[in-house]
Amino acid sequence: MNIQEYIESGILEAYILGALSTEEHAEVAANIAMYPELIAEIAAIEAAMQKFAESNAEQPPVHMEEQIWQVLSKDNQAQTPLTDHRPQAKAIVLPRQAHDVQWQRAAIWIALVGSLATNYILWNQKSQSDQQVALSRSQADSMQVQHQKLTATVASFQKVKDMMADTSMQTIVMQTVIKDKPMAATIYWSKAKGDTYLMVDKMPMPPAGKQYQMWMIKDGKPVDMGVIPNDMIASVNGMNKLPMLATGSQAFAISLEKEGGNPTPTQVCVLGKVAAI
Amino acid sequence: MPIAATYSEEELVMLLKQQSRDAFNYLYRQYSAVLYGIVNKVVYDEQIAQDVLQEVFVKIWHNIPQYNPEKGRIYTWMINIARNAAIDKLRSKGEIMKSKIQTGEDVVNNVHVGMKTEQSTDTIGLKKIVSELKPEYQTIVNLAYFKGYTLDEISKTLEIPLGTVKTRMRSAINLLRQKFNN
Repeated sequence: MNIQEYIESGILEAYILGALSTEEHAEVAANIAMYPELIAEIAAIEAAMQKFAESNAEQPPVHMEEQIWQVLSKDNQAQTPLTDHRPQAKAIVLPRQAHDVQWQRAAIWIALVGSLATNYILWNQKSQSDQQVALSRSQADSMQVQHQKLTATVASFQKVKDMMADTSMQTIVMQTVIKDKPMAATIYWSKAKGDTYLMVDKMPMPPAGKQYQMWMIKDGKPVDMGVIPNDMIASVNGMNKLPMLATGSQAFAISLEKEGGNPTPTQVCVLGKVAAI
Repeated sequence: MPIAATYSEEELVMLLKQQSRDAFNYLYRQYSAVLYGIVNKVVYDEQIAQDVLQEVFVKIWHNIPQYNPEKGRIYTWMINIARNAAIDKLRSKGEIMKSKIQTGEDVVNNVHVGMKTEQSTDTIGLKKIVSELKPEYQTIVNLAYFKGYTLDEISKTLEIPLGTVKTRMRSAINLLRQKFNN
């Protein structure tokens, strides 16, 4: 294998980003194990993706810290009960008026030692079986985690299959309708199913008190598809599935409206017609 | 183990295995913002993101005995737990962005999201670097990293050949590597 070509192909990046199929992923993992030259490259990509993750850091709401600790500490207690289940040593009362004191003492000692030994053996067995219970519990847990992962993978394969099978996915580029103000957004629309995805290519943040609103044009009339939250405008090039199905649409448009939206569009910004196939 | 300001990766693993309050405080202080940032970026809904963040900490807490240092850094391990949990959530309920386009009242609540977010200068610097990437690079990295798209899905969605997706992915991350290093 030509290591340099392999690195240049971008497959290691796809591996770290988790964009490979299960088989490809396993293949790359095997190659990394086989060719130590790949390890430094993998580490550098990982480090870059860590920075990338950090660039998106956001403080969770303050109450989360205590809330999560409550959940964790409850789980901890459930796993390690505080009560002591060890058998207790029994007190043995010495008879006061013994004739053969020596004989009785010997018997008491034997009983005492015997009892302690039994307790010790029982306690040992108990803690061994406790450990086994804990071990099988954690094994069951990890099997469950694996099972969930597999189920999710199968579901995602199903989704890919559906998407692949959907030959009607159309791309509609919505261009600016305002002179000297370049704006654009793209719609990916499945004519057959009505699924609609929006990608904001270039839209300025709306002024205070205003918001963008999504429309489809059907039978020559605009149909409201909801208000677009500002953080979606800020996340340039995110692919966002719209909650409303669009059927029989002839065009898509985005307009600028007062906060919360309007029943009909007042200031259309971008518009894209659906090409007839 | 006494609580220090920062730990090495090995120390962190040992600390987490103690399952103490101090261990949790350190974990939370150090990583919650990064993990929450990822989750939020994936699910795009504050309430769902909070639920997922809780799941993520529970998973880290319970699975730390199974963490294997030979398979990679613990930081990467935690980030992947967060990404996977969030992407699973996204797929499981078809909750794909039901929040993306919202009714008016939700949007009003959303206005505060930005204000609550504290950011260190460090984060702002990193953000700027990422925003300097070409849009077609950003799209590919975002789709893979935050939406869990495979190469095939990206190729299909953006209508560009598979090979191009891969090489753009490499170019994008190469640029990030250069800039982050400076």
